[in-house]
Amino acid sequence: MSQTVLQAEGLTKTYRSGTNSLTVLDSVSFSVSQGETLSIIGPSGSGKTTLLGLCAGLDVPSSGIISLMGFKLNAMSEDDRAHIRNQYVGFVFQNFQLLQTLTALENVMVPLELRGEKNVSAKAKDLLDRVGLGQRMHHYPTQLSGGEQQRVAMARAFITDPKILFADEPTGNLDEENSNHVTDLLFSLNKQQQTTLILVTHNLELAQKTERILRMRGGKLVDQQSTAVL
Amino acid sequence: MIEYIITLKRKTSNIFNDGWVWRMAWRDARHNFSRLFLFVASLITGIAAVVALDSLNNSLQDDIDRNAKELLGADYVINANHKFEPELLTTFDSTKVEQASQADMASMVLFLNNNQSRLIRLVAFDGPFPFYGELETQPADAYTKMKGGRYAMLDASLASQYEVSSGDSLRIGNITFKVAGEVKRLPGGGGILTTFTPSVYISMSELDSTGLVQYGSRVTYKRFFKTTSESDAEKLVEDFKPLLRKYGHSYETVEGRREGLGEGFNAIYRFFSLLAFLALILGCIGVASSVHIYAREKRDEVAVLRCLGSTGWQAFNIYFIQIFFLGVIGSVIGAFMGAGIQQLIPVLFRDMLPLEVSFSISWISIAQGVVLGTLVSVLFSMLPLIAVRFVPPLTVLRSDFESVKTFSKSRLVAMVLIALFPFLFATYQTHSWRMGLMFSLGLAGALGLLTLVAMGLLYLVRKFFPTNASFVWRHALSNLFRPNNQTRMLMVSIGLGAFIIATLNIVEKSLLGQVEFTGQENQSNTILFDIQPSQKDGVVKLMKENNLDVKQVVPIITCRLSMINGKTVDEIQQDTTDRIRNWALTREYRVTYRDSLTASEELLKEYKKDDLVVKFPPPELQHRVKNPSGLFKVPIQTKEDQRYYGGVIGDSAVVNIPVTRDSVFVTISEGMTDELQVTVGDSLVFDVQGVPVRVIISGIRKVDWPKDPPNFIFVFPTGVLENAPQIFVATTRIDDQQVANRFQQQLVTLYPNVSLIDLRLILSTINELFDKLGLVVRFLALFSIITGLVVLAGAVINSKFVRMKENVLLRTIGARSRHIRGITLVEYAYLGLFSALTGLILSLGGGWLLTKFFFEITFAFDWLELLIITGGVVLLTMVIGWWNSRDVINTPPLQILRKES
Repeated sequence: MSQTVLQAEGLTKTYRSGTNSLTVLDSVSFSVSQGETLSIIGPSGSGKTTLLGLCAGLDVPSSGIISLMGFKLNAMSEDDRAHIRNQYVGFVFQNFQLLQTLTALENVMVPLELRGEKNVSAKAKDLLDRVGLGQRMHHYPTQLSGGEQQRVAMARAFITDPKILFADEPTGNLDEENSNHVTDLLFSLNKQQQTTLILVTHNLELAQKTERILRMRGGKLVDQQSTAVL
Repeated sequence: MIEYIITLKRKTSNIFNDGWVWRMAWRDARHNFSRLFLFVASLITGIAAVVALDSLNNSLQDDIDRNAKELLGADYVINANHKFEPELLTTFDSTKVEQASQADMASMVLFLNNNQSRLIRLVAFDGPFPFYGELETQPADAYTKMKGGRYAMLDASLASQYEVSSGDSLRIGNITFKVAGEVKRLPGGGGILTTFTPSVYISMSELDSTGLVQYGSRVTYKRFFKTTSESDAEKLVEDFKPLLRKYGHSYETVEGRREGLGEGFNAIYRFFSLLAFLALILGCIGVASSVHIYAREKRDEVAVLRCLGSTGWQAFNIYFIQIFFLGVIGSVIGAFMGAGIQQLIPVLFRDMLPLEVSFSISWISIAQGVVLGTLVSVLFSMLPLIAVRFVPPLTVLRSDFESVKTFSKSRLVAMVLIALFPFLFATYQTHSWRMGLMFSLGLAGALGLLTLVAMGLLYLVRKFFPTNASFVWRHALSNLFRPNNQTRMLMVSIGLGAFIIATLNIVEKSLLGQVEFTGQENQSNTILFDIQPSQKDGVVKLMKENNLDVKQVVPIITCRLSMINGKTVDEIQQDTTDRIRNWALTREYRVTYRDSLTASEELLKEYKKDDLVVKFPPPELQHRVKNPSGLFKVPIQTKEDQRYYGGVIGDSAVVNIPVTRDSVFVTISEGMTDELQVTVGDSLVFDVQGVPVRVIISGIRKVDWPKDPPNFIFVFPTGVLENAPQIFVATTRIDDQQVANRFQQQLVTLYPNVSLIDLRLILSTINELFDKLGLVVRFLALFSIITGLVVLAGAVINSKFVRMKENVLLRTIGARSRHIRGITLVEYAYLGLFSALTGLILSLGGGWLLTKFFFEITFAFDWLELLIITGGVVLLTMVIGWWNSRDVINTPPLQILRKES
């Protein structure tokens, strides 16, 4: 049996403003196994991004338990969660989130440097070569197109050989050609490195490329299906 | 399931062993130096101000210490305002130390080369003065020549003003002197004093022959002593003390002069320190504000780093390293710039100091500046940088997500240190914790008031927003309220500069207002004094011949106090419980006699004490009222029954004091009652040229001193002093300069001992003084304005991209270039206007307080000049804003749209 890398139990997130409160995520429970690919879909405001944030340890739930690689994230300090992310997690965002003052190569090197590893540039260069940016590794993000920036972001996400990769609308800001290129790259790198992939998207076509789809509505998990069944 | 063991696994690293934060700091800083321009500029301005003024103080103190003896010219000096008494002269002669003498008095001088005349300070020397320092003349032998006969030297400023040079002649009193040369430097003299009283120097042997020293002449005598050691000087001081006290003379020692000068400079230094302190604090605010903006801009990047696994402290350290090193660089630049500015200060101060100051570079001040700057950059960037630690990683997904945690121990420590900083810095700078406390409280008060006024103005603008104004004006005004705006900060810092300049202007106008009555119709602007009784008719005739209106001819009698309320001056001096100051007891009083009030006087009509309301009698009854019993009484009218009581008004009720037929009732000026501790009903005995005259104070006059001079502390009734030795003062009004010159020339020729004060000359002297002082103060006020403008430039630069995007949007929806230019210019015009108004509103309040309570003069200001200050601030703000916004205005829209895409 595959190892569970992510487990959510009764995840609830409520925002309070004065006497008002707004529950954006309501008792969501699911688990993800090692190497599984999963997408979270749902309309705007359904709680997809909130769920992703909680799963990746970017935020803590109001109630419920979130366990990543066996670590109970909601019991940890922010810095401890940052350490977990650095060790086990990769991210790809809709708006790329590259550090504007760093070159493509330096952006890719950052996660390994944070681990305190030395001589990381070779690995970063190799990854940039694999995503087709070997010739542009010394360019700054502003000198790259959207598709290129997203490929740099993927190289950065995969450089730590993450156990789990969170992707938030990774093709949301790209044209069709770039979108296809990035999608292919994402799934191919994922397969090569046996990474668990959790994808948040509006794009059903993209979602159907994953093994399982979680459907959110009004902060609740309303359905989860294997795409094989679909 | 894996157990929670993360805390055991995670290695923590500090800033020194975490190479990654140093690499990141460098990588990030490569592209951010321009964004930290505001930070560095704020620091440079503040540190430059502190170093410049600190170096100036060090140089001044060093030079005062080094040149103390030269400042006095002797070891010990005795000052008297009349000739030394025979007893004193005998004592002087009995001492075996080297001595020199000086006499000085006001006199007219007539320059025979151009027939111009003016009032000068005539200084007569006898003996080998100065004992220390050098009397520097041009030519070098002028002093020797002067001692030898009928030669005079004059201050260089006077010589150049009247184009007099060696060999020319001038007339003082009855004597014509040849000019021996100019005095370039005189121990103990010079500096700003010469602006008020330019001097002419002659030999003491010639003084009497000028015929100037007559009855009533105000001559000050000095005796200089040179001792062989400090202990001799101290012994001399102790030996002379009882006699000096007895005769009311004063003395000065080297130490006293050093302390006096030191205190004088301390006062100036404190003022400068205050300005430097303000500039530094504004710089600190600039630092905090710039780092705040910088940290906000870095928020997204920090969130990404947090996502990738950076800890809060690691993120903090990246920016802390940048700020620290830029802080050191800024401090070094600021310190050296301050040292450079200090070299400029001698140019501003040259005419104002009585000694030559070396203005050497003070390396200690530079080192202190660097340390202080680094401290300031670290301390004041701490709060915004600590906020970096709490940037939530979730911001990468939701940019509006705010951190829940806003409080930490490090934040609390930073807040406490920031709150303490102004106090600690001011205490360190002034070497007094009291002064430090006053500075920091004053600063808090001033900045608090400025902020309040700024907030009030912004509130009013919002409340009465000109909704019907054109698009450009409305949009420009709205820009002041944009998110993360620096409007209030800019209004406070630029407003502070405007406040200092406007307050100076108000004080200047108020002081000038005191003498500007000369501009009013029918007011006297020329005073002739030292007119002997035999000359009175002749002088009046001369005035009439020149078609001058004789406004007043006032008799003046000199006298001294010998008793107050039955106690002799000696007894009062001995009585340690008495609070009457010695100068008030021993001074020479110049009194007059008349039976009516002048236009500048007002008799205090009502004297309230308990329920008794005393109506003073009309002036003609003021001084003596005869009643059938033969007693002189002042009638008093009570509130209740309108009846008259006999007797003299006491402190709390009617006092029936025995007055004789020849009792004299005098009035006293308002302020002097406190100095002499007397009131209505008290008795005094004056020594009028050896004749004791007992008087009773029957009234108190409120005197508007500068108005319609001469004015007097004591006014006697007529019929008492007519036969006493007296001199006269005459006043007139001369509007035409040619008439003034002609009249002065005739006066000096016919009546050489009569001096003339041209109040217009005093007016121009005060103007000149303020021009000099104003230059220095304005120069220092500029620091605060520059800081404000640096903050403005930084704010514009930091908000450049947001503004560019807005402009592109505006252009996309149809705004033309002129709209964009208009909005930008009008926005800065508004900012400048509101900043100037903030300063002006406060300066009117501050100026009023200063004039009323500190200078005790009538509050006056000139709207036009305040408008010019406002216009200057607006223009400067517009220029700086415009200069930094050129990119914003001129960048093509497509460039921004590409960037955005």
